[in-house]
Amino acid sequence: MTASALLVEKATKIFPGVKALANVDLELKSGEIHALLGENGAGKSTLIKIVTGVYRPDEGSVSVMGSSVDFSSPRDAFAAGIGVVHQERNLIPRYSVAENIMIEQLPTKWRLIDRGEMNRQAKHWLGALDLNIDPDVPVNRLSVAQMQLVEIARALSQQSRILLLDEPTASITENEIKVLFDLLRRLKGDGVAILFVSHKLEEVFELCDRVTILRDGRNACAGVPIEDLDKQRVVAHMVGREDALGDIGERHASIGKVMFELKGVSTAAGHQDIDLKVHKGEVVGLYGLVGAGRSELAKAVIGAERVTGGEVFVSGERATVRNVQDALRRWRIGYVSEDRKQEGLILLHSVAKNTAITVWHRLGKFLNLFSDRQERDAIISFVQKLDVRTPSLEQDVANLSGGNQQKVSVAKWLAAEAEILIVDEPTVGIDIRTKGYLHRLVWDLAEQGAAIVLITSDLAEMVLLADRVVVMRDFRIIGNLQNTYNYEQMSRRIMGCIHEADVVVGRADGAPALKGA
Amino acid sequence: MSETISPAERLKTQVELLPILVRAANVAGLAIVILVLVTIVASLAPGFLSPFNLFTLTRNLAIDTVIGFAMMVVLATGGMNLAVGSIGVCSIMFTGYLLEGLGLPIVVSILGGLAVGAILGWLNGILVVRTGIHSFVITLATASLYFGAMLILTHAEAFRELPDAFNALGKARYGSYSALLLVTFVVGASLFVLFKYSLIGRQILAAGANPVAAKLSGTPVDRVIVIAHMLSGLCAGVAGVMVTARLAAALPSVGQDWLLPSFLAPLLGGTLLSGGVVSVVGTFLGAVLVTVLQNGLVLLEVGSFWVQFFLGLTLLVAVALDRWRSVYVQRAGLKR
Repeated sequence: MTASALLVEKATKIFPGVKALANVDLELKSGEIHALLGENGAGKSTLIKIVTGVYRPDEGSVSVMGSSVDFSSPRDAFAAGIGVVHQERNLIPRYSVAENIMIEQLPTKWRLIDRGEMNRQAKHWLGALDLNIDPDVPVNRLSVAQMQLVEIARALSQQSRILLLDEPTASITENEIKVLFDLLRRLKGDGVAILFVSHKLEEVFELCDRVTILRDGRNACAGVPIEDLDKQRVVAHMVGREDALGDIGERHASIGKVMFELKGVSTAAGHQDIDLKVHKGEVVGLYGLVGAGRSELAKAVIGAERVTGGEVFVSGERATVRNVQDALRRWRIGYVSEDRKQEGLILLHSVAKNTAITVWHRLGKFLNLFSDRQERDAIISFVQKLDVRTPSLEQDVANLSGGNQQKVSVAKWLAAEAEILIVDEPTVGIDIRTKGYLHRLVWDLAEQGAAIVLITSDLAEMVLLADRVVVMRDFRIIGNLQNTYNYEQMSRRIMGCIHEADVVVGRADGAPALKGA
Repeated sequence: MSETISPAERLKTQVELLPILVRAANVAGLAIVILVLVTIVASLAPGFLSPFNLFTLTRNLAIDTVIGFAMMVVLATGGMNLAVGSIGVCSIMFTGYLLEGLGLPIVVSILGGLAVGAILGWLNGILVVRTGIHSFVITLATASLYFGAMLILTHAEAFRELPDAFNALGKARYGSYSALLLVTFVVGASLFVLFKYSLIGRQILAAGANPVAAKLSGTPVDRVIVIAHMLSGLCAGVAGVMVTARLAAALPSVGQDWLLPSFLAPLLGGTLLSGGVVSVVGTFLGAVLVTVLQNGLVLLEVGSFWVQFFLGLTLLVAVALDRWRSVYVQRAGLKR
């Protein structure tokens, strides 16, 4: 029980401009469940990517079962007996459940795949999770929760001695979590070393033996027994100083008239009966688990998804948002995407072009012609206001750090003079300093009269910033809570709201029924 | 690097040299290769610099450049237009029909030919946007469709009795150079202004580099893709009219060999296959390189089989360059 199954010593990983990890230690013993905690951007994902061979550490060492290893690809890590369930989906959509589970170790007969045997083995691992789904079903027919469980089944099937689970419970229900936890305890009894990454502290205290916390790419603590910690201390470790939450100054809210309202809105994406009011100067948080339909709602609001029913009002006026141009030019609604690389920015193009894209249409006079200088003059004040750190406006956005990229994707909506701004996961993967800056910015914008909808999965951020928290689940709004700025209380109420809906709404995802035990 | 940064106040005055240099290096590199090639060819084949050869060379260059532009405009969107040649020959035959069949004035006939090009390009764009199918497949289909329709309508019969005043356009020269280059420069200058100074041009590039981000930032992605295809068809039409003037006839057999040069010029010139970056000057230089190479090989009497061989080789080099550029860009993006 004392051997180190996995030992990471003084791991350092530097990306140009950002030190993602600095001298980080992590020790996993056989037969323990070890929690890895930290805020978004603290370096958890980078650490996991090092352990699973996606990245190579710039300094430091990794050893497995006492012998030093140097992974150059994820297959090396797999061969060394490390199984992983990544945060992002890693299933091949059109392949069957069984194919996805067994993909690394397909049973063969005369060099051809033995489908019967494959399905039989897959069924065995699904059974271990009390999952009763047909192994022949393609995974794109499953619900998000089922996909998550299939990924866990795949990691189990590899019978790894070391199992890494990155937010495995983000999108599964209470019942499924219980089954999973029982199974993890069984594996622990069999001597498997388990690393458990989660944002839900309740789960950590329920399940884990020891805790390692990262903050800002460093160890805030390493391998501390759970008995020595309580939630306050864990949070203090995660956010740094106790007063870190107060860093961004005072909120001077002056809430005005209703600026933006949805009445009984339904969308092609599947939203039903959405009622939402956002006032001038207000920050409304939109909280929900992965797959609750928050970003999809944002896209419907800006005309990128179809609204199929209900009414939208902007400043009291009935609004029909036909497309994004319409949202931008006529209704002044902006959307800062959660996925800045894919949806927020044009990495190939310069800071100037990325910021000015929302104002190009009003730069030109004759034939819509304008010069680079006109473009620069139109946006420079916003780039400066957000303190975007770039050598020049001509720099390609791809060459900026994550935080500065995020500032650019916000700057373009300031340039566009958006009065209603939907900010989706604004601080994912962003360093603490920029994070504080963006937090303050959200308030500043509200105080200057914008109506803000804040989407974030980071509950601490939600409680810190929002005036009001609207809770979503299964593409419906299920709660509307005034923020008390008390993390404990708010997280309990929000989670309560979600779990209560579990009973009332049930599972309305239309996927093949998932028969839990 | 970028984290070690100058304060934002300096942004206004500071002009970043590096990106400009990188871009200039691409064009300069191409120019050097061309100079070397010209020197070699001129020293080996004395006829290269003769007025006759220069005239033929620049006439081909003028046409090949515009063919390259026709592809470049669609490459900007991240798509491609395999129907460049078919649209070109449709313009040719329609122009010939207007001139010879209907006896319409030259200007009207030319405009008619260009209009056909623009319309067929527009149709490509509409099909691409409405179906959501990649332009590769759509234009592969329409290439055959347009060409077939042209054969059905013309019975594959050429128009050879074109007015002399029209044919004179193909023979017009300025010193030793073909006056058709003027047309090319006008088209090139227009495209330069389009991509550097106009709303539409920037929107085309944004839509090409990242359609999702462009759309979520209020760019009418579908509309600008249709416009790009229309401009591509228009350029193919311009090239078609130029060929008609050069041959003093409207031949249904023209256009089938346009595909290779249409890709070569822009890709050699730094236009990205994946969209979002174009270079008008680069496309022109790319066409110069290809034309000189082709002309040189003919003068050196290596035989036409080898010309095909070398053009294929050049395209591979161009694509390798393109790959290197986009990998470089991607790395720069993933590092964070």
